[in-house]
Amino acid sequence: MNVINRKRELVNEFSPMLEKAGSAFKIWTGFLIVIIVIGLYALVLQFQKGHEITGMRDNVVWGIYIINFIFFVGLSYSGAFIAGILHFFKTPWKNSVLRIVEIITVLSLIVGPIFILLCIGKLDRLHYLFLYPRIQSPITWDIIVIITDLIGCFIYLLLTFVPDFAILRDSEDLRIANWRKKLYKFLALGYRDTKDQRKRLKKITRTMSAMIIAMAIVAYTVLAWIFSLTVQPGWNSSIFATYFIIAGLYSGVGVIIISMYVIRRVYKLEKYIRKVHFIGAGIILLVLSLLFGYFTFSEYFPRWFSHKIYDVSLLKDLFSRYFWEFVLANYLGVLIPIAILSVKKFRKIKWITFAAVIAVLGLWLNRYLIVVPTLENPFVPIQDTRPEFIHYSSTWIEWSLSFAGIAAFFLLFTLLLKFVPIIPIQGIIDTERKQEKNDKKKFKFLAE
Amino acid sequence: MKNYFFKYTFLKLIIALLFLGVRTVAQEFVANNYKMDFSLKTAKNYDNSRLLEVSFIAKNKKNRRDKIPIYDAEIKFYNVLDNTKTLLGQSKTSQEGTAAITLPENQDYLVDKEGNINLIARFEGSESLDEEETEITVKNLHLALKLVEIDSVKTIQVNAFTIDSSGVKIKVTETDIVVSMEAMFSKMPLAEGAIEDGEFEFKFMDDIPGDVNGDITVYAIIEDHDEFGDVIQKQTINWGASNEHTEIEKYALWASLAPIWMYVVLTIMLVGVWANYAYTILNLYIIKKEGSSLEI
Repeated sequence: MNVINRKRELVNEFSPMLEKAGSAFKIWTGFLIVIIVIGLYALVLQFQKGHEITGMRDNVVWGIYIINFIFFVGLSYSGAFIAGILHFFKTPWKNSVLRIVEIITVLSLIVGPIFILLCIGKLDRLHYLFLYPRIQSPITWDIIVIITDLIGCFIYLLLTFVPDFAILRDSEDLRIANWRKKLYKFLALGYRDTKDQRKRLKKITRTMSAMIIAMAIVAYTVLAWIFSLTVQPGWNSSIFATYFIIAGLYSGVGVIIISMYVIRRVYKLEKYIRKVHFIGAGIILLVLSLLFGYFTFSEYFPRWFSHKIYDVSLLKDLFSRYFWEFVLANYLGVLIPIAILSVKKFRKIKWITFAAVIAVLGLWLNRYLIVVPTLENPFVPIQDTRPEFIHYSSTWIEWSLSFAGIAAFFLLFTLLLKFVPIIPIQGIIDTERKQEKNDKKKFKFLAE
Repeated sequence: MKNYFFKYTFLKLIIALLFLGVRTVAQEFVANNYKMDFSLKTAKNYDNSRLLEVSFIAKNKKNRRDKIPIYDAEIKFYNVLDNTKTLLGQSKTSQEGTAAITLPENQDYLVDKEGNINLIARFEGSESLDEEETEITVKNLHLALKLVEIDSVKTIQVNAFTIDSSGVKIKVTETDIVVSMEAMFSKMPLAEGAIEDGEFEFKFMDDIPGDVNGDITVYAIIEDHDEFGDVIQKQTINWGASNEHTEIEKYALWASLAPIWMYVVLTIMLVGVWANYAYTILNLYIIKKEGSSLEI
């Protein structure tokens, strides 16, 4: 195989994705920018008037912002975990999904923590967290872990991008702006695909993949501890960290399947993202849905059985005021994916994607039920609180900022797909190189 | 048709049998088959009142397990000395066959020279039952229970004496006593022994928690004694171990300073991770350097 020619062929194949900015692309990015602008307007209003214009009050001090934070950070950790597993164990079909997973990992880790900043009433005191940290506080652990993980994920993403940046840098046929060529040159870090460079890059990528698996587990555990180390009903649970990890993986795999479906359709990548990838991801989703269902049951059943006064009050709320949310999150959000994915007949791309959508929506609602009803039923009731302050109802400010965050995620994803090929070119070449090597071995064996 | 007729006849028969009460065929009580157990006992309560209780049970002569309590029989209680007979009270037997009266602490009894009180319980008889009478003799035992700390040692002291007709206190000897404390379902024995020279004393255990307030209720009980009957005395005291002030532990991580292990563990973890980052960046630098040399 002539590697230089093959690289050129692949760049040509992916160049429409990297070069062209069609009308659909412009409308899509324009639409996302409008949502972000509306969100920014809401942000300005929130800064000017304070949290008064949100639904957050004395009791429910965390609303949908923290739910989005948990959701996005969970997405990131699960992405890191899955990317690490795919890379570390050299999964055969990793090439088709690895970049999607890596991009989801980094982007959700950028978008997620923005939501936690929106929860802070006094942002002017934010730097106190760094100036006067209390190492005993889970919040401090979370800050340390998120920063460490974010940097780790950036380094890991760069490592996996370097060979493709080098290929794009060396592609003279690629019709892109001059600044992009300069940027590719800068980010390629002088990579020339020499034997020594290749070996060195593989070694550090493998180490980093193991590191980000561990970091993902630690980081999501710490996030769960922010809740479970309190004595609040619904949070004070010894299985919360494991539950969070399983839930994060469940939503992460769901988002990966949805992304695979959309990218496959939009960029016509049926050749690379095939049915077998969906079936593989679908089976992982099935296993995770079973685990998630089991953990959800294990989480609520002892609360009901123990009959502690505050837990009873929380469960009463969950089965009355939040009945439909509870059913959607913890019954349908688990049982529908199980029903679809466990029947072989339904293991088709559209059905698997539908199951993933249900799982993701169910997971978002599950987090809502973890946060809001608990804060409405605190362990230590607030004295002389106004009755209208007890229950939470989100406002358009919160929703527009939430949608702005989601839009920012999609916008960055779309822009990144304009910047790097969604299927790693170097990965395709490595696979073909390996295939060729195996074929040669086979021929040699037959000849002998 | 015939079958239906028989079928319904059979059903009617079953229903009719169901309506027949079980008692309609039960064996009737025949007094001659039974021996009457008419007994009296007395107990001196902790408030120094005295309980007189009669048990009136008919026992089948042939079948030991067949016991029928005599219900609604009027029992009269007397205090007797020589030819003088004083009615203390009367009571009807319950469904369990017991009748009881409680005499107050200040009840005047007819007492002989040795301080004995003769008590009689009497059933006058009815159409089907003969009269019954039983008698017991008891001495009025004065039982004092003291819970005291002697040189910081929690001590339980029991003093027991009787008073003769001339008012002289006579110390009790060789009398079995059980000292126990109130527990959840029954009384938990603390010590068993005999009163000698009018005294019984022992050290109270320090590790008994008591009730929710740390209170402990101690009973001194002389049971079924030939001379004194049942005598009970009780006292409550705040000796429970749980009442001792223990230091309330705060949440471990709410201390003003983090524990050393936390600094050590976090430092090791963070140094490990960041050292790996540094190693990766160093390798990227080497890759870049090699690339730069190739460009030249």
